[in-house]
Amino acid sequence: MTYRIAMVSDFFYPQPGGVESHIYQLSTKLIDRGHKVIIITHAYKGRTGVRYLTNGLKVYHVPFFVIYRETTFPTVFSFFPIFRNIIIREGIEIVHGHASLSNLCHEAILHARTMGLRTVFTDHSLFGFADAASILTNKLLKFTLSDVDHVICVSHTCKENTVLRASLDPLMVSVIPNAVVAENFRPRQPSEPLPPSSHDTITIVVISRLFYNKGTDLLIAAIPRICSLHPNVRFLIAGSGPKAIDVEQMLERNVLHDRVEMLGPIRHEEVRDVMIRGHIYLHPSLTEAFGTVIVEAASCGLYVVCTRVGGIPEVLPPHMTTFAKPEEDDLVAATCHAISLLKAGKLSTHRFHEQVRDMYSWTDVAARTERVYDGISGVLSAEAFYGARTPGDAAAAAAATWARGRAGVTSFALIDRLKRYYGCGIWAGKLFCLCVVVDYLLYVVLEIFAPRARIDRVRDWPRKAPGLDGDHDAPRARRLRNKSWGN
Amino acid sequence: MPPYDGSPAKAHKSVVTQTLDPSRLAPEDAFYAHSPPRRQRARSPLGLDGAARGDKSEVTRRLSERRSSGRRRKSQWRKLLWVKQSYPDNYTDEYTFLEQLQRNPQLRPYEFWRLVADSTAIVQHVCSVAIFICCFTGIFQERVSPLVIVTWGTTGTVLGWGLWDSWVTKADEKEAAAKAEEVARRVTEGEDDDSISDSGLIMKERKTPSLELTRSPSEEPARNGHAVPTSPNGATFPISPSADNSSDGFATHEYDSMDEDHLPWVPSRAQQRLATIKSALLIYSALLGLSPILKSLTKSTTSDSIWAMSCWLLCINIFFFDYSSGAGAKFPASLSTNAALMASTVLASRLTSTTHVFSLTLFSIEVFGLFPVFRRHLRHVSWSGHIMLTILLVMGAGAGVGVTVSGGGWKAAIVGCVLGSILMVLAMGICSMWLIGLQKYKNEIHGPWDPARPIIRRRWD
Repeated sequence: MTYRIAMVSDFFYPQPGGVESHIYQLSTKLIDRGHKVIIITHAYKGRTGVRYLTNGLKVYHVPFFVIYRETTFPTVFSFFPIFRNIIIREGIEIVHGHASLSNLCHEAILHARTMGLRTVFTDHSLFGFADAASILTNKLLKFTLSDVDHVICVSHTCKENTVLRASLDPLMVSVIPNAVVAENFRPRQPSEPLPPSSHDTITIVVISRLFYNKGTDLLIAAIPRICSLHPNVRFLIAGSGPKAIDVEQMLERNVLHDRVEMLGPIRHEEVRDVMIRGHIYLHPSLTEAFGTVIVEAASCGLYVVCTRVGGIPEVLPPHMTTFAKPEEDDLVAATCHAISLLKAGKLSTHRFHEQVRDMYSWTDVAARTERVYDGISGVLSAEAFYGARTPGDAAAAAAATWARGRAGVTSFALIDRLKRYYGCGIWAGKLFCLCVVVDYLLYVVLEIFAPRARIDRVRDWPRKAPGLDGDHDAPRARRLRNKSWGN
Repeated sequence: MPPYDGSPAKAHKSVVTQTLDPSRLAPEDAFYAHSPPRRQRARSPLGLDGAARGDKSEVTRRLSERRSSGRRRKSQWRKLLWVKQSYPDNYTDEYTFLEQLQRNPQLRPYEFWRLVADSTAIVQHVCSVAIFICCFTGIFQERVSPLVIVTWGTTGTVLGWGLWDSWVTKADEKEAAAKAEEVARRVTEGEDDDSISDSGLIMKERKTPSLELTRSPSEEPARNGHAVPTSPNGATFPISPSADNSSDGFATHEYDSMDEDHLPWVPSRAQQRLATIKSALLIYSALLGLSPILKSLTKSTTSDSIWAMSCWLLCINIFFFDYSSGAGAKFPASLSTNAALMASTVLASRLTSTTHVFSLTLFSIEVFGLFPVFRRHLRHVSWSGHIMLTILLVMGAGAGVGVTVSGGGWKAAIVGCVLGSILMVLAMGICSMWLIGLQKYKNEIHGPWDPARPIIRRRWD
């Protein structure tokens, strides 16, 4: 069974980042599995209209007003006309939104449900419950996720968080981790020697944006202590941010310029080149849903020292990592422990790359995501999808109906949707219902004034037959492409 | 999982043994299914077992059966991402799901009487604002002479200042004595410590900067012309600066930077008194000079706007007032104080003569600027005095409101006094009960997703 999927998020290339590359990699691998995937995002500076990426991945850059850090202005309804147009034009069956701070994704899920499409949401980040911004975001998330078919989270901690934030049934939340393109993070090859000075020194690499929540304060406190304890340790810091000035001050105060190298911001392609210059990767983050960068570091053959926060303890096996509490003393102790292990030759990092490659691959992620699509489209039976009880007894049937009665599994009926939204809160529930009703009316108006018949259907980019390798049908694809784009 | 052959596991045996932790796995665990000990929950937190299907006992029995047989058949689910598990992605482990969730971890149930006691601070402030308003009304309606009010106010302020001064002197003496004792103890302890430990080296290094640190503030006022001689310093303050510094040097490990800043040289009491009197005179004469300007400052604004504005400003004063800070705080909550002073300035323009304006402004400075400092200290020093003052203020405010509203004499004052006291007592009780009742709605959620609070030892600030 193949699907026509639209990935919707505010965050996509040309902006670099974890969510962006997740969407791209997942889409590419889904296309490889024979699905049709398009991406809908807002227009970036110098990037408007429709673009094709590798493999026939089509990207719609919808003009939208950006308010803060590439997030569009939340207008609830204004995205609907163009969204409907794209969906009908492309014949989309499943709408897959990404990132909880993306307004476009929330709107798309709402409108897709109004249009009778299956929806999936992927959450990439952790949120607290205490501050005002989180409360607002959580309420909005609850609104959107009241009527979603399935949610994907990148780690088990993230799942617990999302279930609590949006009051979801945990069975409709899957955990599918991020992955890395292992070929891009190969360890140092014998042909790439280390710089001559660094044969007897241990280099600790830190690649992170220098923000408070990335633990830069811990880093600033730990570096002088580690440097004074181990005279042959050097640091390599890549990344920029508001805390960069504090790092500089720390260097000046302790006169560490010759031992700590600050590389400034680097591109994602350069990460590997920086990583292979080191032996240990230090990750002092204070909150992290998954922590792709530590997987990348391990894939490059670095031993990882990280704080035990968020989803990080789930990510790597213990022989690749040392965990520290988010405290200065413990971080120093853990780093020293790692250094002593490295000095004693007790770490053999040469197999890290193969191990990481087998743990995390985008092909695997795409296969698992496909199972989610199967589940929500009814290809997989509810029993099989929502956890099979022992087959053949009465409880199984009961479990099946119980699952079907859950939010977002089958019914598109407006009254069922309203029931789901109404439970969101005393005031919020009514407000959300109002929004949904208005959205539905808008849909009816659009159907009358911009009928489906008047919207052109695009020709699909020639799909690969599932299981075929890319090279096999490349000539055919080229032929077809010439045919369809010739005029 | 095929890639994990023995070699890395063997190589990292030491790592694994050193960080042995039952909740974490070694690579072998991926294919050798022995389950780490896990404490079981008494009840499924999700209510998955049975609640929806009615037959609870039957379902739990089957679940436990499944668990025991499942242990043999397939490995137990683990909260890890790097192990490929034979469970579906949306599998929810009922025994570990949301295990680390904490609800209201720092909940302190309120006690009724403590709440009532704490609310007296608010009552005092509200009452003093009410008294101020009554005084203004009295002056405005020309029922009370402003001179009477300002005389009473100033007398009270001077008395209060005297009391406050004696408390501060006493506290300082006590502190100094304690510190001297501490220093003596430290020196004897530190001497035998110094010779053996290498930490002595660090102390010596630290001595020089801390010396500079303590010297500079003592020299600065002298340069600024505040006529503060450095010699009587040693006489009134029992510890000489050098002793201070040595204690400072030894205390590096125990004390943080706060103490270092706090410790150095304090001007003697007599000088402080002199300075206070000087600044009081300065404010007094400045106010005297300014009152004609203040009088005409908002003359062109209509009275309606003035009433509304002063009402809002006084509300701001009450809501933003710093009720919690202890005796040490000098002039906290500048927004609150400024709002109150602005209210009095605005109100002053409604008065007829410069004397009236001067009296009201001076009175407002006393009530909103100085009285809170006194109240804070009183609460700190003597609890019974605090209660007495509260009762006095409540009765005064009640009487004042009574007189102002009815325009009558003693009878109205007594009625107002009684009514006000009853009302206040009821309000304190009801509000405290209400707050205690509201506490059951408190639902604070904490878990591993919260950003960690980094613990950093500051050493170089």
